[in-house]
Amino acid sequence: MSEDSTRSAGQAPLDLPEGCTLSRRTFLGGVGATAGLVLAGAVPALVSSAQATEGGVPGNESLSGVLEEDGAVNYPGKTVHYAEPPGDEKWAMVIDVKACIGCRRCVYACVKENNIGRNSGFTYIQVLEMDKGKVDVEHASLAYEQGGDPDKWYMPVQCMQCAKPPCVYGCPVTATWRDPDGIVVIDYEKCIACRNCIVTCPYGARHFNWVEPEVAEAEINPDVPLHEKAGVIEKCTFCIHRTREGGTTACTEACPVGARKFGDLNDPDSEVSILLKTRRVWRLKEEYGTEPMIWYVG
Amino acid sequence: MAEKAISRPGVKRVIGVDLDFGALRTAGPRYWAFVSLLVTVIGLGVMAWGTLLTHGGSVMAMRDSYPWGLWFTNYMYYVGLSAGGLVVYASVHLFNAKQFAPLSRLAVLQAGVLVMMALLGIITDMERPWRAVWMLLTPNFNSPFIYTGSAANIYMIICFVDLWILITGKGGHKLAHRMTLIALPFAVYLHTTTAFVLSLNKSRELWNSAVMVPIFLTSATASGVALLLICAYVMQRIGAMKFKPSMFRSLSTLLATVIIIDLFLLAVEILTVFWPTSAKPGHALRLAEFFTGEYAIAFLPVLVLGLGAFALLAGRSTRHLPAVQITASLMYVVAIFLKRYSLMAMGFAVDPLGQYSAPYLPSLVEVLIALGLLAVGLLIMTLSAKVLPLRVPEEDSAESDQVVLASHAPEQALEVG
Repeated sequence: MSEDSTRSAGQAPLDLPEGCTLSRRTFLGGVGATAGLVLAGAVPALVSSAQATEGGVPGNESLSGVLEEDGAVNYPGKTVHYAEPPGDEKWAMVIDVKACIGCRRCVYACVKENNIGRNSGFTYIQVLEMDKGKVDVEHASLAYEQGGDPDKWYMPVQCMQCAKPPCVYGCPVTATWRDPDGIVVIDYEKCIACRNCIVTCPYGARHFNWVEPEVAEAEINPDVPLHEKAGVIEKCTFCIHRTREGGTTACTEACPVGARKFGDLNDPDSEVSILLKTRRVWRLKEEYGTEPMIWYVG
Repeated sequence: MAEKAISRPGVKRVIGVDLDFGALRTAGPRYWAFVSLLVTVIGLGVMAWGTLLTHGGSVMAMRDSYPWGLWFTNYMYYVGLSAGGLVVYASVHLFNAKQFAPLSRLAVLQAGVLVMMALLGIITDMERPWRAVWMLLTPNFNSPFIYTGSAANIYMIICFVDLWILITGKGGHKLAHRMTLIALPFAVYLHTTTAFVLSLNKSRELWNSAVMVPIFLTSATASGVALLLICAYVMQRIGAMKFKPSMFRSLSTLLATVIIIDLFLLAVEILTVFWPTSAKPGHALRLAEFFTGEYAIAFLPVLVLGLGAFALLAGRSTRHLPAVQITASLMYVVAIFLKRYSLMAMGFAVDPLGQYSAPYLPSLVEVLIALGLLAVGLLIMTLSAKVLPLRVPEEDSAESDQVVLASHAPEQALEVG
């Protein structure tokens, strides 16, 4: 019966090779999977209405696997001195690589916002230009001239604020830790400049100030340390001085195509929560088990 | 022994050790020329360190793509060299290798001085050395640095205490034997943790291999034995110590054995990385730089020198010749330095985001600091050759103790164990 139905469904051109036709098994499998997906969507919904207060954030149960990764790592009990204390938020970012045009405006905005030494020779955000067809970081280009090449695609990489941060595990003196809201911070007064975190980070997100960072007097952002950063490690902080006061990150603000969404995973109605629940997202080097807090969607 | 020494002029007794300052007075002009050369190099090194402290890290060639440089190469290298000496010394006690007994003081001194050089290398690399106190106050036990750093410090202390025990004969052969039982596992521990600094990084495919630990141990032993052989020849040449030719033969046999194990482990690693069913792109890509990339000039000599040294030591008709033994030892000491350098640098050459950086070559400041530290080590050895009683007295009670100890070593090991 189903043999007949497939044949009648696929009546039209049929230039396809043998293996391409919809066999009974795959057809039935497909039906089963669809039903499963529907059920999977329905059951948690029922459960959530029944016991909304128990376990996880109400309305965000489908993200519980991600939310469980939360938990401060090596948190010394006091937050960094230049920002408001962390609240109940759990910060996350979703980057739409389909939208990203590789213009590097996020990079420039970040450099200005975070007092990155103009002579330091690094930026928190690195945009990789890659060939179509695969996520091949090994053959990506960082030094491309300008973005917007239709034959390429672009992926910005920065500190992933990992839930299991190898850099924090590798710091011999506990000069870096993960604050309760998920931001991995560095104590510039304590860093011994061993650079082991540069070695342990799989995302190349950590940078060392080999020189005294220089920023023109007029361009200094008073909310962010500058001279303290000489001879120590620095990296992206999810703009901790802005986000903990209700703002968003400088890179999110600067993106001309709205490819970056920043928000709180503990808020079920935030853009990042909705994106994670509705879109098929992926993370860079997921197999490393670092549980990054930046997701990509294409 | 002490009474006999004290009767000579110029001998001062410090914490039970007879320091023969009289020997310095009688030393020739060539000796003093060498010492003043070393002092000059140390002075240059201190100046270079001052430049680093005042101008910041940019005077070094290290950058974010090469966060560690010559100092780390030297750390691995010196720590490795020190192991070989200790293995030889320990084999006197544990495996009844009597032929190495005359080497024991020299081996322990060499081990201690080399680890000291390694630790000084770390201190001179830090931009704010005083912050190192945080390692003690708030250590993070997930970091391999904590283990290798503490191991190196304790190991250095063990070596110097051991040397003191050997020279003064305090505690008799029993204590000397027990110190071996502490020192040898600690040497292994130190090298394991040093290898872990590289291998426990999932972010760096090239290093993330368990075989790194045994390779570190064998490279360390081979290069250390080779250095000890060279050092023993030099000491014999300048008349500070005297050895039997059979001792050198045993030493070079040990060297050849460890070299071939070392090369075997390297071959196994290379095979695993490139074999089609196990090759991971990230790892294969990085290791391929060893053979075809810009690092080939540093790595291919490792294989050539290694196989060459083994071939020299394996030849039945020539292996007893001092010239052959010294050449092979020198070849392997150089090979291991190149191996450490290329291993460290290549791990960084392709960064986690796949970006290739041109090979790291140390800047003048880094080279001067490294040479200064080398000169510190050489100066200590040069002065010790004259001042310290390194020669294990043949007919002395200390020696007979050692021989007795050596012959009873297995039984004692059982008792202690």
